[in-house]
Parts: sequence; C-alpha cells; structure tokens
Amino acid sequence: MNISISQQDPVTLVAISGSVDSLSAEKLTEAFTGELNAGRVKLVADFSAVSYTSSAGLRSLLGAVKDSRRLGGDLRIAAVQPDVLRVLSLSGFTSIIKIYDDVAAAAASFGTAA
Amino acid sequence: MNATAHMPGQPAVSLVIGSGSVKCAAAIGVVKALAEEGIAIERVVGCSAGAIFAAVVALGYDAKQCMEVTSRLWTKELTAKRNTMGMLSALAPRLFGFRADSFGLRDDRPKDRLLHQFFGDRRIEDTQIPLHITATDFADGELVDLHHGSIADAIRASVALPFAFAPVRIDGKLLVDGYLADPLPVSVAIKHGARVIIAVGFESPYQERIGSAGRFAFQLSAIMSNNLLKSRFSFHSIAHHSEVIAIIPEFSQRIRLFDTEKVPYIVEEGEKCTRAQMPYLRELLAAEQAAAGTVSGRQ
Repeated sequence: MNISISQQDPVTLVAISGSVDSLSAEKLTEAFTGELNAGRVKLVADFSAVSYTSSAGLRSLLGAVKDSRRLGGDLRIAAVQPDVLRVLSLSGFTSIIKIYDDVAAAAASFGTAA
Repeated sequence: MNATAHMPGQPAVSLVIGSGSVKCAAAIGVVKALAEEGIAIERVVGCSAGAIFAAVVALGYDAKQCMEVTSRLWTKELTAKRNTMGMLSALAPRLFGFRADSFGLRDDRPKDRLLHQFFGDRRIEDTQIPLHITATDFADGELVDLHHGSIADAIRASVALPFAFAPVRIDGKLLVDGYLADPLPVSVAIKHGARVIIAVGFESPYQERIGSAGRFAFQLSAIMSNNLLKSRFSFHSIAHHSEVIAIIPEFSQRIRLFDTEKVPYIVEEGEKCTRAQMPYLRELLAAEQAAAGTVSGRQ
C-alpha cells in the first residue's frame, strides 16, 4: 500500500493505493494520526486506487473517523471502487462514513453543511 | 482438488460459509483456489445452505464431487410438496391445533430423506476438518454452534427456513435456520481462536415484483436478514483482532433459488474472488507464520 498526502486547504487529501489490510493498516493509522496530531482534521481519503479492504483496514478507518470527529473534523472517502464498496456496505460503514463520487466532491463537502 | 486439513507449520485459514441458497456453491471455488495454493483449512463453519457446503468441504470432497453433490441435493424436490396440515393449522389453529415444533408450510420429508441418503450416519466430530454448523435456538434466538452429532440432522436444523420448514429438535433444543441468528457466523471461528478468516457471504436478493403474500414475506425476510448480516459482520470485523477477509462474489447473472445449472458459473466467480485476494493472503499467512515462529522461539 502507498500513501501520499497533500494539502488542499482546508482539506488534507490522503491518496491511498493498493490493499488496506492487516499488513498495511498500521501504516495507514500512523498517517491519519500524524495529520490529526498536526491539527489537520478535515481529511479526504482518495480510494480510487484502493483494491481491497479487510477487517483490519476497516478498524483503521473507523479509528480515524472517530478521532477526526472528536477533534471537530471528519474523514470522508472519495471514489470507492465497487469491490471495496461492497465490503464497506456489508460492514455497515456506508451508513456512518460519508462517501463521495470523487475527490473534488468530497473536498467541497467540507465547505458546505453536508 | 480437495480442501487440505491443517498440518502443523502449514499456512491455514478458517472458512466461514454464510447463508445464500445455491449461491453458497461459490465456496467450492474458494476451496479450489485455496487448495491449489497449498493453503489448508483449519476449521469450517457453515450456516443454512452454507452448512451443506461446509459439510462436504470438511469431509474432504474435491471441487468436482462438491458440484455433483450440489446437483443432487439442491433440487426443486426440496420444497415441491405442500404440507397441507401445516397450512390448515395456520389458517384454523383452534380447529386443527397448532404446534410450533412441527409447523411448516412445506413437507420437509423429501429434504430430510435426501440429506440422510447423502450423509448417512456421518457425524460432525468425525470429519477431516473440524466442522461447525450453525442454527438458531427458537426459544431465545441465540446462535447454536453444532459441533457434534449427525451431520444430516445438523444441516436439517440449519436450513429449517421459517414458515417453509418445521423446526428441528436437537439435544432438547428446538432449532430453526441459522441465518436468523447470524447469516455469516464469523463469531464461531473467532471464538475458536481463528487468526485469519475467509468469510464467504451473500446478501439476500430483494424481490423484483411482489404479487403474493409469499413474496411479501420473502421481501421482509431479506430486509431483516441483510440488516442483521451487516450489523453482525461490522461488529465482528471491528471488535476483534482476527483478520476477516470477505469474499462477496458479484454475480452479473441473476441466480434464482434452484438455478443449479449455474453452479459452474457460481463456482468460477467464487474462485475468481479468492484468486484476487491471493497475493495478500500469501503475504499475510507468511507474516503470521513468522510471528508464530518468533513467539515459539522465545518460549
């Protein structure tokens, strides 16, 4: 899994590629935690290149959602691929995490009441 | 190629096959892909129709045999005969009497006969791979993990679809279809210490057209079971440290209840989904083995 972080004020874009799973979840958690500790709490995860997420990946995402909301921000997900969306739906994540068609829509959502 | 029972030192996973009628045949493809990679199955759990496939996998049948079993067991004969007494007792309970332990609108004798013909006296505790079949306790809704006793009887209980088939009494408990407690019971594998779980699950299909009370009931059942599936799966994914790898085949063809002619296609989809996870699975199991080696080296 590769992670690339960029700023699109006021949003932090976390572009992830590969599989979000037991072997990579810790790296993802560290990336999210680093941003949150630096006060960057409005996060958009670009999932366009994520091929799979397992339970460990779900736990990492949930942790980041909870922490960002506690700090007044949020983690929103963009461009989820169908296979990953099925796992997010099966695990009920689609009912607690805001998901957008693309990064632009996810980033724009922070400027609205969405 | 048949499923390999777990030998010490060999990479292994626990396999959970959820409810999903004939779609559960996708598990055959999952097992085929795992066997071809030399990945053993340390435990198999099956719920509802998934229990049939779990049993044949645990008995060591290969993919071809499993497909033959599907064609033999999964036929329209299962639900073809009405249970007239069940119908009458539902419509006029005072006149005909109503007994929860025998109520079902379909005659379940053909199903029971088929299961007993096929599995005979085989017992859960005698399978090559440890087998668990889940059912639901009719008295309190609790999940019941059947890990000993007659395979045929355990499957009868696990597939005792409410309203269609009568509950089954095992060890003093009245049992109904396992999907009512948990359509994808990964909790059973977690409880037995599974580290890596392959969970083959299916959402119940929603009705395209609802023109009868039966279809109305199927729609309600699908809504409830899908919501239950999601809530249970999310809880177990998040609350435990087992790695749950969900295999959720996406079927472009519509699969109806008795579409056994589509079994090869269903198997293929299951195999395809599993192969897509194989690079990760290999790496994960290697890491698990390395970690286990480090721990045992320290002891």
